[in-house]
Amino acid sequence: MSSIIISADLLSVGQMIAERTAQALGYTHLGRQILSSVAEKHQVREEKLVAALDEEASLWSRLSRSRDDLYLAYIQAAAAERFLGDNVVCEGLSAHLYLRDVSHILMIRLLSDPKVRANQIAAQQDIPPRRARQLLERQEKRRRRWSLRAFGLDETDPSLYDMVINLSQIEADKAVDILADTVGYRKFQPMTYSRQCLQDKVLASQVRAALASRFPEVKVQSRDSIVVVQTRTLKRNKRQKAEAIKELAQRIPGVEYVEVHSNKDFLRQAKNSTD
Amino acid sequence: MSERLEVLILDDEPIVGKRLKPALAKIGCDVEVFVDPRAALEVIDGKDFDIVVTDIRMDEIDGMQVLEHVLKKSPRTKVIMITGYAMMALAREAMDKGAFDFISKPFKPDDLRKVIAKAAQALGSPIDFEAGADNGA
Repeated sequence: MSSIIISADLLSVGQMIAERTAQALGYTHLGRQILSSVAEKHQVREEKLVAALDEEASLWSRLSRSRDDLYLAYIQAAAAERFLGDNVVCEGLSAHLYLRDVSHILMIRLLSDPKVRANQIAAQQDIPPRRARQLLERQEKRRRRWSLRAFGLDETDPSLYDMVINLSQIEADKAVDILADTVGYRKFQPMTYSRQCLQDKVLASQVRAALASRFPEVKVQSRDSIVVVQTRTLKRNKRQKAEAIKELAQRIPGVEYVEVHSNKDFLRQAKNSTD
Repeated sequence: MSERLEVLILDDEPIVGKRLKPALAKIGCDVEVFVDPRAALEVIDGKDFDIVVTDIRMDEIDGMQVLEHVLKKSPRTKVIMITGYAMMALAREAMDKGAFDFISKPFKPDDLRKVIAKAAQALGSPIDFEAGADNGA
């Protein structure tokens, strides 16, 4: 059966709607509860994974950015493979940014009333409503920048979703009914093609997670068990790097063939030539 | 299996039908192959097929039109769409219009045999998929 990914401007609201929709459909709710097992598997503190999902790494710290990319690669691999079993309602893991173009996954954006969100901030931080509204605007900008940097997509862009629901106009119960009804449409049913797309994304994310700690810059694509890795490299260590990537990628179950495409690392090459 | 499945394959690339016909014959299908959509529709008008496998992008008549034509004439027929130009919107459109499945090219004959076996099951005429299971067809 199909699955649903919910992206919400308020995490707690996305979680509430996802849990209720999963319950209504008899589906599995997939959320941040998986982060503890991801943390354990990769020997990382869970708070670091949460921070990578929620906060923008400092613009000036290349190290913290590549660490966040590594954590996101771990989360992506863990979340993506859970979709293989179908019947999932997912929120809070940014899956709307990396499980795109799988036709049997219904993509939803939930918008909360800005007043409600501002009031929540005001209450949490004990600040006046006007100040809370300013903070909210800043938060929105930061979140937009985060999604653009981490996945090259603006998550506030409505065209990324199959449906956008404004919760200041549609009650939560009604939103759950709408989601449960819509996911049953024929167009969202799995087919050989969409299952293959999902399988390809799962394999690519697993390979990326395996490579990311040593080669954080790599981009990975997969089709029918053939994996293509794009990397940047200096001319002199091109061959060794390609061999190391192939060796790591081929350890992932399901990988039949690995191709490495190397682009010249012009920046590092220029730096080396001036040293 | 009690009866052989009647299957029509329509693809304007002759190699597709040429490769798939023997692969499907092995699992108990009677296969008619067409490269011209008009000729295929004429035959469809005169005969109910169990399964129709059609390419999507073809000159004059495309696979979506074939899908609609087939289901209008015979709602029980399972229509399987194949295309080298697979995209999410196209896949969703095909499913919305009643396609049984959607496969992107290139695929192995075994991939199609699996889908045919699923369609046969849905038609209440299960076939022995293992009889033809190999990747070399």
